[in-house]
Amino acid sequence: MSLGEALSMLDAEERVTGHINYTLNIEAPAMLVGKILRSPLPHAHIVRIDIARAQRLTGVGAVLSRDDFGPHTGYSGRYGRIFCDQTVVALDKVRFVGDPVAAVAACDEDTALEALSQIDIDYEEIPAVFDETEALTPTAPLVHDPRPEQQPMFSKMIEDLPGGTNLCSHFKLRRGDIEEGFCQADFVFEDTFRSPAAQHVPLEPHVTVAQYARQQLTLWTSTQMPHAIRAQMAELLNLPLERVRVIVATLGGGFGSKGSLRLEPITAFLALKAQRAVKIVLSREEEFVTVCKHPATIRIKTGVMKDGTLVARQVSANFNTGAYSDIGPVVARNGGSAMSGPYRIPHVRIDSCAVWTNIVPAGALRGFGVPQAVWAYESQMDMIAERLGLEPLEFRRKNLLCDRDLFATGEELSNIHFDELLDRAAASIDWSCDDARWLNRTEPKQKTVRRGKGLAMVIKATITPSTSAAALKLNEDGSLNVLTSSVECGQGAKTVLAQIAADAMHMPVRRISVSDPDTDLTPYDQQTSSSRTTYSMGGAIREAASDLKRHILDCAAENLEVSVSDLIIEDSQVMVRGTPQRSLSYGEITRLSNQGNLFGHGAFTTRGGLDLQTGQGIGSVHWHQGAIGCEVEVDIETGKIKILRLSPCVFAGRVVNPRLCELQLEGCAIFGLGQALFEEMAYGEHGQLLNANLSDYNIPSFADVPLKFDSSALEHAGSEELHGIGETLLPPVMAAIGNAVYNAAGVRIHELPLSAERVLRELSRANMSRRE
Amino acid sequence: MKQIIKLKVNGNMEEKAVHTHHTLLEVLRSEYKLFGAREGCGIGMCGACTVLLDGQPMSSCILLAALAEGKEITTIEGLSDPGKLHPIQQAFIDHNAFQCSYCTPGFILSTKSLLAENPVPTVEQVRTYLAGNLCRCGSYYKIQEAVLDAAARLRGEKQNPPLP
Repeated sequence: MSLGEALSMLDAEERVTGHINYTLNIEAPAMLVGKILRSPLPHAHIVRIDIARAQRLTGVGAVLSRDDFGPHTGYSGRYGRIFCDQTVVALDKVRFVGDPVAAVAACDEDTALEALSQIDIDYEEIPAVFDETEALTPTAPLVHDPRPEQQPMFSKMIEDLPGGTNLCSHFKLRRGDIEEGFCQADFVFEDTFRSPAAQHVPLEPHVTVAQYARQQLTLWTSTQMPHAIRAQMAELLNLPLERVRVIVATLGGGFGSKGSLRLEPITAFLALKAQRAVKIVLSREEEFVTVCKHPATIRIKTGVMKDGTLVARQVSANFNTGAYSDIGPVVARNGGSAMSGPYRIPHVRIDSCAVWTNIVPAGALRGFGVPQAVWAYESQMDMIAERLGLEPLEFRRKNLLCDRDLFATGEELSNIHFDELLDRAAASIDWSCDDARWLNRTEPKQKTVRRGKGLAMVIKATITPSTSAAALKLNEDGSLNVLTSSVECGQGAKTVLAQIAADAMHMPVRRISVSDPDTDLTPYDQQTSSSRTTYSMGGAIREAASDLKRHILDCAAENLEVSVSDLIIEDSQVMVRGTPQRSLSYGEITRLSNQGNLFGHGAFTTRGGLDLQTGQGIGSVHWHQGAIGCEVEVDIETGKIKILRLSPCVFAGRVVNPRLCELQLEGCAIFGLGQALFEEMAYGEHGQLLNANLSDYNIPSFADVPLKFDSSALEHAGSEELHGIGETLLPPVMAAIGNAVYNAAGVRIHELPLSAERVLRELSRANMSRRE
Repeated sequence: MKQIIKLKVNGNMEEKAVHTHHTLLEVLRSEYKLFGAREGCGIGMCGACTVLLDGQPMSSCILLAALAEGKEITTIEGLSDPGKLHPIQQAFIDHNAFQCSYCTPGFILSTKSLLAENPVPTVEQVRTYLAGNLCRCGSYYKIQEAVLDAAARLRGEKQNPPLP
């Protein structure tokens, strides 16, 4: 009984004693400290760069600049997961304030900083563009010209487009006939919503240690994607895969930020040049200019019948991917394909674009485009309900997707539980139809602090297709090593995977050790992201366990001189059916095999994909589903919002570890609460980030989280299917709070965050128009 | 420029040559190899670098090492004897009051100071006292449970479960 057990993390003791080893702690012999020089300008040509003085400083091991790249060196210095638009250091121009221009490796931090100050650069500033809508106007300055090359492996997922524009990618979804749908509709409503840039703020910053020796590169790095990092670094350094080794310790938080190449290229080239190990640790300020959540402007037009039946939806979304595309086109696609929400809508047309601008590059952040989408469609759902005089819960229920319905991607849905999730969320906040402001017939009391409740729902894909592989190594004492490249980010992957292995192998969790990722040793895994580890790596481990059990049974059958069909496996041993005294333990079987270890290997692959022109196909192997209820208090004199209750409900399939599941649900909701109430990267008019520190950019503390919090994980009785729950409940938090604020104070805010200033501004605007 | 200072870390008095501009956090990590205190923000806002100075929680990232001379410095590594766990640590384990645990040593040391000042804290008092320690993973509810449980254990109201 290891599935469903509320174990604490297996490495909990190391975590409370401070002994757990993050990449931050890694040191290599004769290691140098690396520091990065960053652009002070949002968009400029580099006219001249002189590193001679920096190089002459005592204690400097290497200075890296554009001179190290190009045909004469054999290194292009160009990389990027989808478009080859990023460079190790700026080659021709800088594209945002914070763009790496040069780097130094030196004996200590002070020397490295001194060397950076000795690098002389002449820039020629050129016009810049920061806003995603402006960037698409014909006169906007081009961030990339010519258009960067697309990586071939993404050609089936992201359509290549002509150059001469800042349009990076364009996802299209076409279902039904949108014109016909709007014709049928009794009403058509169009609204625009915006989400700003937000930062992941993992408390452990990005860290990379690189060592280059005997034409082999070893990287200890804080990444969620060891195998993808290996492949991209091998390409950058013109090395075969086995010459690049990526080792990942437990992360001090990731939330999507530690996905694509970050510090690995710059640290590796410094190490190559210095012929010494080099370590780079980002400062908090640098974290803010490394990657962020996509700012997005979403225009949503929905056609609806008088009785509240949804008939058509057209969406035009622009995701601002900043100076470099990173994984932005896939974020725009994922957000785009989710924009019909958990609702049955026969006519859907979605255009969801990633756009290059001169701000901090945006990438994956917990929710992956869906938070921006849900903020738009769930805010609009309440607005439509009010315009039609409907009860928002019943309006949603009327349109909810059910089993056998077709999603906007055309795929038939199964295992759908929105009805029950909505009921749970509503019940947990004691929702009644009076809670919709427009249905409340009681006189508003003249209080300065007003209460309101709100609901929001989410449907989210998990990356499909995807592949995970795992190996199990049975030792001569009967213990088991799980070899996996899944990254422990704090989500409890190691513990959950041990529980899955224990269950599959009929042995206790305490006899199992789960590896850290090491690309020299641990099998392939696509990535630790998209809430896929429990499901996908869990699936690979189950496959590997079947393989290992076959070897165990074969070996036991031979030694017990019976056929495999006469054997049963129970409690770490193999027994002859009917005569349990004839048995062999796992340890005995391993020793009798004379093979040292017994191995099992398993892979888990999902299939799917969407058509480039229509967005039709299989968007997700299964769908993550959730609902949130919340109650807020709005002080109409200060605009301050206080969250009184938050009740996230998720469909969890089968919960492997209830305690860790609760932590994920709480973590999602609190992460969303920050983005709802105050998280916003604020830019000055010249594209400088104004609040790149934890004093001016706040993340939720104990003072912000509601006293009443009631999460629930809906399990599917009788199913062994595992569902990821690491992201599902973040996206609906913002809209649930926004809807509650409306019900409390009567102001509808279209742009996040719901700061006190913004609430107050809207309140006074509403008062003015009432007086007029 | 380096200066010789006497630091008393986790009960041991030692002379160390430290750069005058280096923080206590830098010295604990580079000279002592004590990795339990970690930089999160570098400006004293997040509490991940919390250590106790004469029992008071301090952000070691904004305290010059030289200014810690003459004080009792306690880091997470010095909270309990090797191989043993402090009741607060045990409560954090039992409630799994962390996810990535980068912030955990800071929370535990702040809790130590809270419970020394106030052995019977209310939920509100726990939240107010710990509002200077940030947990980005959002483990606050489990931390709250662990702190209240640890308080009960320290008052002798509840025994630690035996170690596995």
